[in-house]
Amino acid sequence: MSSVPASAFLALALILFCIGLYGALTKRNTVIVLISIELMLNAVNINLVTFSKYGMAPSITGQVFALFAISVAAAEAAVGLAILISLYRTKKTVNIDEMDTMKN
Amino acid sequence: MNLHAVLTILVFSPLLGIVILAFMPKQAEKLIKVVGLLATVPALLIAIAAYLHFQWGKDLADFAVSTSWIQFRGMGGVPEPFFSVNYELGLSGFQLVLVVLTAVVATLSALAAAKFVKKEWKGYFMLFLLLEIGMLGVFTAENLILFFIFFEITLIPTFFLIGKWGYFEKEKAAYSFLIYNGLGSAVLLIVIMILFGKTGTTNIEMLTKIIADPSAPLSGDLKLGLLISLLIAFGVKLPIFPLHSWMLKVHVQAPPSVVMIHSGILLKIGAYGLIRFGMGIFPEQFKTLATLIAILGVVNLLYGAFLAFIQTDFKMVLAYSSISHMGIVLIGLAAMNEAGVQGAIFQVISHGLISALLFFLVGVLYERTDTSLIENLGGIAKGMPIAAGFLLAGAMASLGLPGMSGFVSEFMAFLGLFKELPWIAAVGTIGIIMTAAYLLRAVLGMTYGKAHREFTGVLDLRGVELIPVGVLMLLIVLIGVFPSVLSSPLQTTLETIMLGLGG
Amino acid sequence: MMENAWLIPLFPLLSFLILLLFGKRLKEASAYVGILLTLASLVFSILVLFERFSEPTYITKFNWLTIGDLHLTAGFEVNQLNALMLFIVSLVSFLVHTYSKGYMNGDERFPVFYAYLGLFTFAMLGLVISPNLLQTYIFWELVGVGSFLLIGFYYYKEEAKAAAKKAFIMTRIGDVGLFIGMILLFWETKSFEYSAIFAAVDAGAISGTMITLTAILIFIGAVGKSGQFPLHTWLPDAMEGPTPVSALIHAATMVAAGVYLVAALFPLFAASKTALLTIAVIGAFTAIFAASIGLVQTDIKRVLAYSTVSQLGYMMLALGSAGYVAGVFHLMTHAFFKALLFLAAGSVIHAVHTQNIEEMGGLWKKLKFTGPLFLIGTLAISGVPLFSGFFSKDEILIAAWEGGHPILFLLALIAAFMTAFYMFRLFFMVFTGEARGDQKHVHESPNNMTYPMILLGVLAVIAGYVNTPWFGSFLGDWLVDGNPALGHGHIEGPIWIMIAATVVSLAGIYFAYMMYYKRSIARNTISGTGDTLHTILLNKYYVDEFYQLTVVAFTKGLSYFLRFIDVFLVEGLVKGVVGIVQGLGRTGSKMQTGQVQTYGAVAFIGLALLAVIFALTGGYLR
Repeated sequence: MSSVPASAFLALALILFCIGLYGALTKRNTVIVLISIELMLNAVNINLVTFSKYGMAPSITGQVFALFAISVAAAEAAVGLAILISLYRTKKTVNIDEMDTMKN
Repeated sequence: MNLHAVLTILVFSPLLGIVILAFMPKQAEKLIKVVGLLATVPALLIAIAAYLHFQWGKDLADFAVSTSWIQFRGMGGVPEPFFSVNYELGLSGFQLVLVVLTAVVATLSALAAAKFVKKEWKGYFMLFLLLEIGMLGVFTAENLILFFIFFEITLIPTFFLIGKWGYFEKEKAAYSFLIYNGLGSAVLLIVIMILFGKTGTTNIEMLTKIIADPSAPLSGDLKLGLLISLLIAFGVKLPIFPLHSWMLKVHVQAPPSVVMIHSGILLKIGAYGLIRFGMGIFPEQFKTLATLIAILGVVNLLYGAFLAFIQTDFKMVLAYSSISHMGIVLIGLAAMNEAGVQGAIFQVISHGLISALLFFLVGVLYERTDTSLIENLGGIAKGMPIAAGFLLAGAMASLGLPGMSGFVSEFMAFLGLFKELPWIAAVGTIGIIMTAAYLLRAVLGMTYGKAHREFTGVLDLRGVELIPVGVLMLLIVLIGVFPSVLSSPLQTTLETIMLGLGG
Repeated sequence: MMENAWLIPLFPLLSFLILLLFGKRLKEASAYVGILLTLASLVFSILVLFERFSEPTYITKFNWLTIGDLHLTAGFEVNQLNALMLFIVSLVSFLVHTYSKGYMNGDERFPVFYAYLGLFTFAMLGLVISPNLLQTYIFWELVGVGSFLLIGFYYYKEEAKAAAKKAFIMTRIGDVGLFIGMILLFWETKSFEYSAIFAAVDAGAISGTMITLTAILIFIGAVGKSGQFPLHTWLPDAMEGPTPVSALIHAATMVAAGVYLVAALFPLFAASKTALLTIAVIGAFTAIFAASIGLVQTDIKRVLAYSTVSQLGYMMLALGSAGYVAGVFHLMTHAFFKALLFLAAGSVIHAVHTQNIEEMGGLWKKLKFTGPLFLIGTLAISGVPLFSGFFSKDEILIAAWEGGHPILFLLALIAAFMTAFYMFRLFFMVFTGEARGDQKHVHESPNNMTYPMILLGVLAVIAGYVNTPWFGSFLGDWLVDGNPALGHGHIEGPIWIMIAATVVSLAGIYFAYMMYYKRSIARNTISGTGDTLHTILLNKYYVDEFYQLTVVAFTKGLSYFLRFIDVFLVEGLVKGVVGIVQGLGRTGSKMQTGQVQTYGAVAFIGLALLAVIFALTGGYLR
C-alpha cells in the first residue's frame, strides 16, 4: 500500500477541488452548485486524511477533522437544500442567475 | 505639594457637567444652561491658578504626569522591546497660555450659547463640554497618540454642533468640516504611526531628542516628507491657502457660540501643532522650508485680505480675515528667530481673543436684526452705540492697533521676518494696509452712515452680554499694553525651540 | 518735575476712561472733567518746560517686552524738542477743550466728544515724550485713531464716514513706511532707542544706502501723517470733523507729528544727502501745490486745510534744507496761528451755520471778537512783519537759500505770495462787503469760545519774538544746545530775503484787497483765459479721481480676480476631487451584480493572487 505516494492523493484532491470549483462558479442549476461545493469539501477531506498519514507530524488529528468536516457538510447540505426548496417555492426557479436579491 | 493630578482634573473636569446633564430632563432650559456654564468654570479656575503658579515663580514641570497606559509587543514575532504608550500630560509656558485661552473662551462661549442657542440645550451643552475636554487635552497632551485622540475628540462634537445648531446650510458646512479635517487627521495619523514605528516612542520630548540625533533611523528625505505631511495636516486646520474653503462655510453657517470656539481655539490647534511638532521635532527640515512657509504666509495674508475687501456678509469678512491673520502666524514661524516665533504665538492668542469677541458681536447683531449683511446693517451706531463701539474696538484690535494685542503680534512677526527675508516681509506689509481697508469698510459700513432701515425694538448690549465683550476687550488691551503677561511664560518654550534650531 | 513728566499724558487718558465709563451720567459736566485734566497736563507741561531750560535732558526707561535676548523698552524722555512739544500740545488741547464747551453745546454725544478728545490728547502727549521709535510708532498709530474717531464724530453723515475711513487708510499707508523703516533700523542697531540709533549713525555703523533707505521710509510715515504730497488728500476731507477738532488735530498737533518725527530723527536724516533732498523737494512742492488749490476753494475750512498742508510743506522744506530750528520754530508759530484761525472759523460757522464763504460776508461788525482775531491769524500766516509767522517763515526761506536750493526757495516765495493772497481772499469774503446769506441770527460766540481765541491771538503775535534776527535767537540756541548734529541755532541770511518775503506777502494782500474788497480787479483775472485752470484747481488737480481710477480700482479688480480664483479654482478643485470620489463609488457599485457566482469567482481570483504573492515573496511584503 505504501507504494502510493502522497502526491497522488494530493493530485486527486486537486482535481476534485477544481471540478468542484468549476461547477460552483459556472453551473446555473442551484442543485448542481450545491453538489459542486460538496465535491470541494471532499477534496479538502482527502487532503486532511493525506496529511494525517504523510504529513510532517502524522497524527490522528487530520482524520478526526475529516470526520468533523463530513458531519458539518451533511448538516450544511440539509440546511442548504431546505433553503433551496423554500427559495424554489417563492421564486419558482432553481436558476442561480435569477437569484440576485443581494443586489437590492 | 503633589500637583500631578491637577492636569487630569483640568482636562476632564467638564466630564462632570456631561454626567449631570445626562440625567437632567430635556425641558429644564434654565437649569441646563446653568449647569453647562458652571461645568466650564472649574477648568477656568484651574487654568488661572496654574498661570498664577507660574507667575509666582514656581516650576510648571510640577504638573507633569506620566503613567503607563498601553503596552504591546513588536509585530512579527521578532523579539523587540515593548511598544508602550504612556498617559502623559504636561504644561510648558506655551501650553499654559493656550490652556488659559481655551478655558476663558470656553466659558465665554458657554455664556454666549446660553444666550443664542434656541433649541435642545441639553444636547448642545453635552457636546460642547466634550469639545472642551478635547481642546484642553490637545494642549496638554505630551505624546502624539494622546494628542491624536484628543484631536479627534474635538472633531466629532464640532461636527454635530455645526450640523444641528447652525444656520441654513449647516449640514453642508458640517460635512465640509468633517471631510477636510478627517483627511487632515488621517495624514496626521500616518505621520504619527511612521514616527512611532521608526522610533518606538510617541513622547514628544523623546522624539525630539531621537530625531535630533544624527544616528536616528530616519533619512533626511523621510523627515522632510513627514514635515510636509504635518504642514498639510495642520494646514487644513489653520487653514493655509488652498485648503481653506471648508472654514469659510463653517464660519458662516455655524452658530456664533461655536464659531467663537472654532475661530478662537480650534484653528489654533493647527498653529500649535505646527510650532510644537513641525518646528519642535523637525527644526532642520523646517529651516529648509522657511522660504516656502514665508511665501505661504504672505499669500495667506494678502489673499485673505483682498477677498475680505469685497465680501458683502460680515461673517465672510471675518472668515477671510481669519485666513489673513493666520498668514501672520506663518510669517512669524518662517522667520525662525525669537521675535518671529514669539510673534506667531502672540498672534495665536491674540487672534483667539479678537475673533471670539467679534463673532460674539456678530451673534448679538444677528439675534437683534436677523442679518449680518453689511449693507442691510448700516448705521446701527445710532440704535446700539455700545455694540457699535465694541465692534469698532474689535476691528481696531484686529487691524493691529498699538495698545491692543494684535499689534504686538503683528509687530513681532514682521520684526522677525524682516531680519531673515526682508523682501517677502516687505510684500507682506501690504497686508497691513489692506487689513485696515477691509475692516474699516466692513465695520464702518455697518455702524456709521445713515440707517438703511429702522430697526424697531433693537436693543443694545446689556446685562450678561457685557461680560464676554468686556472680559475679552480687557484681555486684548492687557496683552497690548503689558505684553510681558504673555511673553514671560513663553520664554522657556522659545529657548527650547531656538535650541533645536541651533542658535 | 521732569521725572514726573510721564503723568502729563496720563491725565487726558484718565479723562478718556472716566468719560467712556461714566459719560452718560455726567452729561454736560463731562466738559469740566476734560478741561480740568488737560489743565493739569498744561500746568505740568509748563513746569517741565521751565525746568528743562536749566536742566539737562531727562530720560528713563523700563523693560516692556522681552523677546529672547532682545529687551524692548518703554519710557519717556524730556529733551528740548519734547518739552516744547509738550507745552504746545497741552496748551492747544486745553484751549480746544475749553472752546468746545461752547461749540459742541447741546450735542447729544457731548461726553463722547470729550472722551475722544482725551484719547487723542493722551496719544499726542505720549508721542512727543517717546524716547524710542517703537513707542513713537505706538502713539503715532493711536493719534491716528483719535483723529479717525473725531473726524467720524458725526457718524451718521456719509461724508464723515468716508472721510474718517480715508484718513485712517491713507495715513496707514504712510505708517507702513515708518513701520518698515523702523524695523530695518532695528536690525541695523539692535535697538529702537533714538540715542542708540544716533550713536550708530555717528559711528558709521550703518551703511549709507541703509541710512538713505530707512530715512526715506520713515519720511513716508511723516508724509502720510503730515498730509504731504502725494498722501495729502485725506487732510482736506478730514474737515468733516467738528471744527475744534480740526483746530487741535488737523492744524496744530497731529499733522505736525510728521514734522516732529523728522525733527526728532534729524541726525539720521542729516546723515543722508539724498534723504534731505527728498524731504526738501516734497516739502516745497507740497507748499506750492496745496497753496494753489487753496486759491479757489470756497469752503472756509477747506481753504484753511489746504493752507495747513502748504505750511507743513514749508516746515518739511526747512528740515530738508537742514534748517532744524526753522522747521521747529515754524511748527510752533503755526500751531498757534492756525489753531486760532480754525477756532475763529469755528466761531464764524457757529454764528452763520454755513461753511461756504460765498454765503458769508460783512461779518466784521457782527462778530466783534472773532473778526479782529481772525485778522491777526491771517496776518500772522501771511508773514506780515512783526507777527509770528513772519519770523518763522523768514527763517525757512533763509534755510532754503543757504541750503543751496534756489529753485525750492523760489517755489517757497511763490507759495508765500499765494498764501497771503488766499488768506486775505478768505478774510475779505467772510468779513467785508455785503452779507450774502441768511444772517438774521448772527451773534458773537460765548466767552468760553472767545477767551481761548484771545489767548491764541496773543501768542500768534508774540510767539515769533523768541527767535528773531533782532532780539536774538533764544529758541534756536536752546533747541540745538548740546547737540551739534542739529545744526546752528540761527542761520545768518542776506537781508534781501527778509525784504523779498515782506514784499511778496504784501503783494499777495494787495491783490486780494483789489480783487475781493475793492473789486477793481475782476475775480477771474487769473483764470480769465479760460476756466480750465480754475476747474483743475477747484478739483484739486484730480488727485482723488486719479487714486480712485488707479489704486482703488486696482485693489477692487485684484479682489474680484482673487474671488474668481477662490470660487472657481479652489472650490473647483474641491468639486473635482469630490467628483472623482463619487465616480469611483458609482463604478464600484455597478460591479455589485448580486450574482453569487461572480462574487465567488472574484473572491477566488483574489485568493489565488494572494497565494502567488505569498509564494513569490515568501510571506512578508518587504
